[in-house]
Amino acid sequence: MAMIETQAGAVDATRTPTRSDKATRRRVASRLGLVVALALVVYYAIIFVLPFGVSIWLSLQNWDFIVDPKYVGLRNYQRMFSDSYFWQALRVTVTFSAVEIAAALLLGLVLAFLLSRLRGARQRTFMALFYLPVITPSIVAVLLWRWLYIRDGGAFNNLLTALGIPPQPFLLSSEQALYCIVVMVVWTFVGGVIVLFLAGINDIPEHLLEASMLDGAGLFRQFWHIILPLLRPIIVYQVVVSVIGTFQLFEQFMFLAGPGFSTRTLALYTYQLGFQSMDLGYGAAVSFFIFLALLVATTVQLRRQRATFEY
Amino acid sequence: MTIVTPRPVSQSGLRRSGGSARMTEIIILCILAGLCLLIVYPFFWLFFSSFKTAKDIVTLPVQLLPREWTLDSFRRVFASPDLLRPYINSLTLSFSTVALVLATSSLGGYVFARLQFPGRDLIFILILATTMVPFITLLIPLYLVMQRLGLLNSYLAILIPAAVSSFGIFLCRQFISVIPRDLYEAAKMDGCGDFAIYIRIILPLIKPVLAALAIFSFLASFNAYLWPLVVLNDKDLFTLPIALTKLLSTYGVTNYDLIMPASLLACVPPLVVFLLFQRHFVQGIALSGIKG
Repeated sequence: MAMIETQAGAVDATRTPTRSDKATRRRVASRLGLVVALALVVYYAIIFVLPFGVSIWLSLQNWDFIVDPKYVGLRNYQRMFSDSYFWQALRVTVTFSAVEIAAALLLGLVLAFLLSRLRGARQRTFMALFYLPVITPSIVAVLLWRWLYIRDGGAFNNLLTALGIPPQPFLLSSEQALYCIVVMVVWTFVGGVIVLFLAGINDIPEHLLEASMLDGAGLFRQFWHIILPLLRPIIVYQVVVSVIGTFQLFEQFMFLAGPGFSTRTLALYTYQLGFQSMDLGYGAAVSFFIFLALLVATTVQLRRQRATFEY
Repeated sequence: MTIVTPRPVSQSGLRRSGGSARMTEIIILCILAGLCLLIVYPFFWLFFSSFKTAKDIVTLPVQLLPREWTLDSFRRVFASPDLLRPYINSLTLSFSTVALVLATSSLGGYVFARLQFPGRDLIFILILATTMVPFITLLIPLYLVMQRLGLLNSYLAILIPAAVSSFGIFLCRQFISVIPRDLYEAAKMDGCGDFAIYIRIILPLIKPVLAALAIFSFLASFNAYLWPLVVLNDKDLFTLPIALTKLLSTYGVTNYDLIMPASLLACVPPLVVFLLFQRHFVQGIALSGIKG
């Protein structure tokens, strides 16, 4: 008997191949798989792992791009905690995210529920219109809203005066500016939220809602007691994705900026540090903080979700 | 993933008999119509402003309808090299990106869903883990890496990071893993190699996911502002978003008379791409949003 070693163990090579031999052959590594996997590993090493490592390294340096970088240990992070600009940017970012996510979620849920009450063509028409801002290029939307928010004679203020409301300073007011951006971003993304929730509502077996109707439940009851609890996993998912997304929005804050630093988010601060003030080490530190903050936020969210949700 | 889906709630119509159902429906339609109007309102301004004369656009207070309808502003956009070139650049980049993403995502998804090789599951999880790091954290370092590679101020610096999408690989893998094994086994029995199976069997079957991915990656690429801004210096290489913002102030004046029509034209490619692929789109969203 001539024995051959295969991945599954020793096999007698003089036997005629049987069914189980074919099973063994299948466990040999796929060449295509190896090639592709290797290519991906190399790719991610260069595009991801390397920059990530550089990010950490850079955050420990002091560098202005002209003179050689100087190692300063954790000084950048210490500086962060005593930097009032940093805290302001953090405040702006967190406030923005919280308000925007709450508004988009609420609006999205309500609209998705209302849309689910419609059928076919009607639903699709409304859906398409709500989705328009999502497929509009973000720079287009930003510039458009910048124009709409013009204080003297701009479209929004004209509308307000026509309704008897005094004209607002909008982007010229450090109190209003951030919320102006919130409105714009909610407008941009609510369509996507609706699509997600609508898909979730469609997954709810219809007999649940029919049963509730037989019990006399009105629209609101159906929404509160059946749809909302069953949509929980999707809501959590949407919140997590939104937090990650809102922390990284950029052009909105660059071109709809309010006075002073009232609308400077952490992302904008990072960009300015790295490419305007040429303070690369500190910029890297701030951007690394963003990563850590998001990591914590995401983990906390997912932990809570797993703990409380039962099917 | 369920192969047999229960009849969706919205399809059943859920009508109660009698007037109260009608009333409810009317209220719903009114609320939806009202909110819809609010959402679409900015687009009215974008649309009508593009047909105004240059002077009309910048006259304050603004008026919705043009005092005089004209196609002049579009002519000015096409005549302006600072807008036409970036428009074409963006389209070129975006289509290239879509092609790359579809290829890498489908192949990657297939490899992780169906093929066996050592470290398969570990590598897949690591690829998924990369989505945990936000782009802003990699902004400065990736710029430095591109600089070291001598790729700054070239389209490679934009295409290479965009070519592979972890999200795309994930989506394709999920979709491919539910393709019945029998198809796969039958092809193998006929002597098909792994790659042949990929081309002949897998690709045709995952069209919905590919369509959704095409839309996502086209939008992401066409939309991109920060990375191209940071990486490109050459005016001839600028993408459309960069060009539009450069219009914001030449000589201290905001050129809304150019921005409006240019913006309207900028909306066309994403809209077209979306309309072409949207049939498969909602399916794709449902897959990505619910599963997991």
